[in-house]
Amino acid sequence: MANPIIEFKNISKKYDDTPVLKKIDFEIESGKFYTLLGPSGSGKTTILRMIAGFEDPTSGEILFEGKRIDLTPANKRPINTIFQDYALFPHLNVSQNIAFGLELKKMSKTDIQAKVAESLRMVQLSGYENREIDALSGGQKQRIAIARAIANEPKVLLLDEPLSALDHKLRKEMQVELRALQQRLGITFIFVTHDQEEALALSDQIFVMNDGRILQSGTPVDIYDEPINHFVADFIGESNIVPGTMTADYLVHFDHKDFECVDAGMRPNEPVEIVIRPEDLDITSADKGKMQVTVDSQLFRGVDYQITGHDADDHEWTINSIHQTTVGAQVGLVFDPEDIHIMRFGEDEETFDARLDSYEE
Amino acid sequence: MKAKFKLSNLYLVFVFIVIYLPIAYLIFYSFNTGATMDKFTGFSMKHYTTLLSDTRMISIVLNTVVIALLSSLLATLIGTLGALWINQLKRRSAKNAVLSVNNVLMVSPDVIIGASFLIFFSFLGFKLGFTSVLLSHIAFSIPIVVLMVLPKINEMPRTMIDAAYDLGASKWQALSRVILPTITPGIFAGYFMAFTYSLDDFAVTFFVTGNGFSTLSIEIYSRARQGVDLEVNALSTLMFLVSLLLVVGYYVLERYGHSRRVNRNKMMKGPNAQ
Ligand SMILES: Nc1ncnc2c1ncn2[C@@H]1O[C@H](COP(=O)(O)OP(=O)(O)OP(=O)(O)O)[C@@H](O)[C@H]1O
Ligand SMILES: [Mg+2]
Repeated sequence: MANPIIEFKNISKKYDDTPVLKKIDFEIESGKFYTLLGPSGSGKTTILRMIAGFEDPTSGEILFEGKRIDLTPANKRPINTIFQDYALFPHLNVSQNIAFGLELKKMSKTDIQAKVAESLRMVQLSGYENREIDALSGGQKQRIAIARAIANEPKVLLLDEPLSALDHKLRKEMQVELRALQQRLGITFIFVTHDQEEALALSDQIFVMNDGRILQSGTPVDIYDEPINHFVADFIGESNIVPGTMTADYLVHFDHKDFECVDAGMRPNEPVEIVIRPEDLDITSADKGKMQVTVDSQLFRGVDYQITGHDADDHEWTINSIHQTTVGAQVGLVFDPEDIHIMRFGEDEETFDARLDSYEE
Repeated sequence: MKAKFKLSNLYLVFVFIVIYLPIAYLIFYSFNTGATMDKFTGFSMKHYTTLLSDTRMISIVLNTVVIALLSSLLATLIGTLGALWINQLKRRSAKNAVLSVNNVLMVSPDVIIGASFLIFFSFLGFKLGFTSVLLSHIAFSIPIVVLMVLPKINEMPRTMIDAAYDLGASKWQALSRVILPTITPGIFAGYFMAFTYSLDDFAVTFFVTGNGFSTLSIEIYSRARQGVDLEVNALSTLMFLVSLLLVVGYYVLERYGHSRRVNRNKMMKGPNAQ
């Protein structure tokens, strides 16, 4: 692994004795797109503010390129932030806003001008130099905030829910642009969001957080396909989660039957949770199905139908299907062994990874 | 509903008449040929010519303006710094304590403030005159400035200051390049308030002035006590006109600033809008 650009070592943070971050450890590699994903209050902003230098850890160390940075004040860190409310300076116009950091660095007038023009080009707002800030739309303010940050050529760019104030369409557009911008600039982005879809679409790496802890980190595909626990499975995407027991390696028991699966490394008869994504389930006739459910409702969503039903034990099942079915009917469900993902209770990330390594090549 | 509206209009008109009638009366008699306000005997500007040749009166007007300008300037400086200091206090209780002290000064009667300044100055053996008046005007203006500036500081989003540091600003640069420009409207409002408070202060000045130093309100008071003098009417008329012009000027400025902003917004929706 390449040398990490940012490392958190055993970071804890308390506000008046209320723990907000609990022993956070992670490494961030240069040039990648990272996302901190978690529900409100999980501590995402706090982590970002610590990297930026607005907040001090209560204990632990933050390293930047291998050297301690948690004692360096914010204005001396080669890191810039894009704030959720943009935090543009209303008394300055667009080019003055972008030039703010450059002027402080005593850059020459002509260099500043060139840099401002270049940054505006990056965010596709060339020609907006003399606009006043209150004469910009929300999406334009967002871009100017990005231009102002990247003009300083930071090594790391921090983005705290930068798209949350935009409408759905603009939000999608900006996601694509952000991703493209990150790849063009090649700098590290650390992005905060509580929108799992956004996180999956943008990131190289996701840290899923809850209640001051990082529960799981990995690529979007890893986290989607192999969530570590109930919380992550539920938070990322739609999922069916039912209890079961591990009969043996590669064999799991639920709905009164044993099913073939691809997980191993548990104790025999260990109670576990089974995750199957709704899009991995297919509907067939009751007798052909691996299991049977009674259809309770059906919702047309444009691309597909979202069908919910219940099995003999009254566990609820959600199925996404392009085929219509009838409410009240009994139908069969089919799925492949790979579609079943097994989660152990209380397993932490380290043992989870070790167990996966023990049987996956 | 309609009748009620009319009634309230009537009431407003009545109130305005009550407020402005004495002033109108006073202005009217400033043009009197005679020396009293009993009977209007003919139009003349003679009280205005006496006023303009009254060097004592003119120097007092200048004194008053100098005191008002200086005291409001210094009070604005101190008050703004004070508001910034209060804002960065971490403990809530400390913040509230300082704010209460500030507000107590705001609401306590001028007579009490004047008397306590007098006691204070005589205790120190301070010679009463220009300096004592200036100092007390600064003192009673500071809370006003704090009260006008503090909300502007509170309104300022916390992230804006963070953004300044984030872009490499030192504490001083953040203050001078971001915080002060943002709260400028509050500072100006505080300055104007302090200026008018100083201009028409009577009670405090009455206590702390001495050694022949006088301000307008004191002078008019003492002349009015000696009997009617239509020169005072002439002066009051001029002052009324000046304040009227100031108010009108203020509104024009404000409207101008406002419409400029509106125009800018219109511009945005113009050719470049997407
Ligand atoms: N200055 C502060 N003083 C006290 N508590 C704070 C402070 N800042 C944050 N907290 C608390 O710390 C916890 C984590 O806050 P943080 O802002 O990091 O959450 P978040 O994950 O960014 O949430 P959101 O998605 O709502 O922005 C919250 O419970 C919050 O109330
Ligand atoms: Mg947050």
